[in-house]
Amino acid sequence: MEAYLLAIFITALVYVLLTLGLNFQYGFTGLINFGYVGFFALGAYASAICTARMGWPAWTGFVLGMVVPFLLAWPLGRVALRLRDDYLAIVTLGFSEIVRLVIINEKDLTNGGQGIAGVPKLFAAEGGGSGMAADLWLALALLVACGLVAWVVRGIVKSPYGRLIQAIRDDETALLALGKNPARFKTQVLMLGGGIAGLAGSFYAHYVGYVTPDQFLPIITFQVWMAMIMGGVGRLRGAVVGAFLLLIVLEGSRAVRDLFPGIPEVAMSSVRLAVIGIALILFIRFRPQGLFGANRD
Amino acid sequence: MDLLWSDYLNLALNGLAEGLLVALPALAVTLVFSVARFPNAAVGDFVSLGGFGALTAHRLSGGSLVAAAVGAVVAGAAGTWLGWRLAFAPLLKRNGLALLLTSIGVGFVLRSAMGLGFGHEIKLFDLPLMRAWRWGPLVMNPMDILVGAMSLICVTLVFALLRFTSVGRTMRAIADDMDLARVVGIDSRGAMARMWVLSGVICGIAGLAFGLKTQVSPESGADLLLPAFAAAVVGGLGNPLGAVLGAVSLGILQELSTPFVGFTYKIALSYVVMLLVLLWRPQGLFGRVQGVR
Repeated sequence: MEAYLLAIFITALVYVLLTLGLNFQYGFTGLINFGYVGFFALGAYASAICTARMGWPAWTGFVLGMVVPFLLAWPLGRVALRLRDDYLAIVTLGFSEIVRLVIINEKDLTNGGQGIAGVPKLFAAEGGGSGMAADLWLALALLVACGLVAWVVRGIVKSPYGRLIQAIRDDETALLALGKNPARFKTQVLMLGGGIAGLAGSFYAHYVGYVTPDQFLPIITFQVWMAMIMGGVGRLRGAVVGAFLLLIVLEGSRAVRDLFPGIPEVAMSSVRLAVIGIALILFIRFRPQGLFGANRD
Repeated sequence: MDLLWSDYLNLALNGLAEGLLVALPALAVTLVFSVARFPNAAVGDFVSLGGFGALTAHRLSGGSLVAAAVGAVVAGAAGTWLGWRLAFAPLLKRNGLALLLTSIGVGFVLRSAMGLGFGHEIKLFDLPLMRAWRWGPLVMNPMDILVGAMSLICVTLVFALLRFTSVGRTMRAIADDMDLARVVGIDSRGAMARMWVLSGVICGIAGLAFGLKTQVSPESGADLLLPAFAAAVVGGLGNPLGAVLGAVSLGILQELSTPFVGFTYKIALSYVVMLLVLLWRPQGLFGRVQGVR
């Protein structure tokens, strides 16, 4: 039971990181990024390739896992930021699918559809060989990472730069009239948020121990959106609450299955999908500001 | 790799068939966009729904394709009408993102309902095996011809409806300027409901065509979503003819590129072309520059 709770806790923390990054992009800057899972995948694969395939130390994976999505967000930003919101949504969704197709196709680097197994556990030495202790250390490291990222994002948002990006969200035309160039700042926000997703990806790869293209389907993006909306758009505290709520929704259905052992797993995954869909519809209709958000639409 | 001109012609024909298939969901996306102002991400799931409607009617009727078409149309139209009434109509005054996210939720609910109702295993239409037709070096699968013809008929009927009937005129008026249309007394809610039903009919036919060509499963239609988006964007969101032309040209381009980029990357090619088109002409190849509303 403790191991199960710890597993949920670690997954929830990965989602907290993702939600923080997406909230920075959408909640504060108003960028509609529907390809968020692409950056997450880049981070996870960077770590998996560096450690499991190259045999390099784990920190190289973390560095590349942040730098690669950070840099790849730049060209995406150049293309996408001249576009209207709905186009940006479609273009970013396409970006995450391109990332997945490249992963499937570049077998020499990524081992294609079979994925890469044997990504080493972090803190295996400190854990003294026991998986549980290593996972506890990992949870601790993730907590520190979440705290750091939240602190940095908070610092940015409270700074003059933060007021500027929030002005992009609220009234881009007014900002243009003041002689600022929103496209430049949007690209920077896209890059920073991409780096945060990459960091989450590195942690995820080391925790799960393997990566395959199927782990990075667009549904992950929408789960992060869901967490952000439930917690509250533009609220850092909301990112934590939303991510944990999401995990309760996802894992709660597993608990239901333990009560009714007759239901097959495919049916339960359908039910999970329906729960996410209905929650998304209801939140947007009745509480678009989320549980902790300020009231604006 | 040496390919003959006839190989390229065969690839182009395959691409044409593929493009005509994607043209239907692309048309549905662009119709919804022109009136409701958001890209409908549930379009692929409405296609799957049409596929199940077609398959059920096909089996119940003992293999009649006409019954399958009726089943597809009924399922697709019922799906989009319910989606409009329950999910989209209450959000009329809200921004495009709220509608877009809602359409994603609707897609999830639909996919899950189909999974629970019909199961996840892949289903095929019971059809007699057909030999490929050959004219000299050209090879054509008769199913591709059937599917392409269905798509062309459906597209033609939709254009005729938009062009020549009063229902179509009110839809175009609303797409052009919602407020102005209301001022001259057009029932905008009614026209929107009809537009949703029309997009459902198109999705239904797409479901039948896609099911005949490949398979029916709760997830199968979702694979059409991004190609349909890409086609609609390349053609200019909100432009029906653009969506069809976009789908056909992307389809042909994709197939012709297969010898050079391989099977996986040909899918990515649509998105890359979409990005390039957006860089060069943000309003799409056939779109007009529009003011922000």
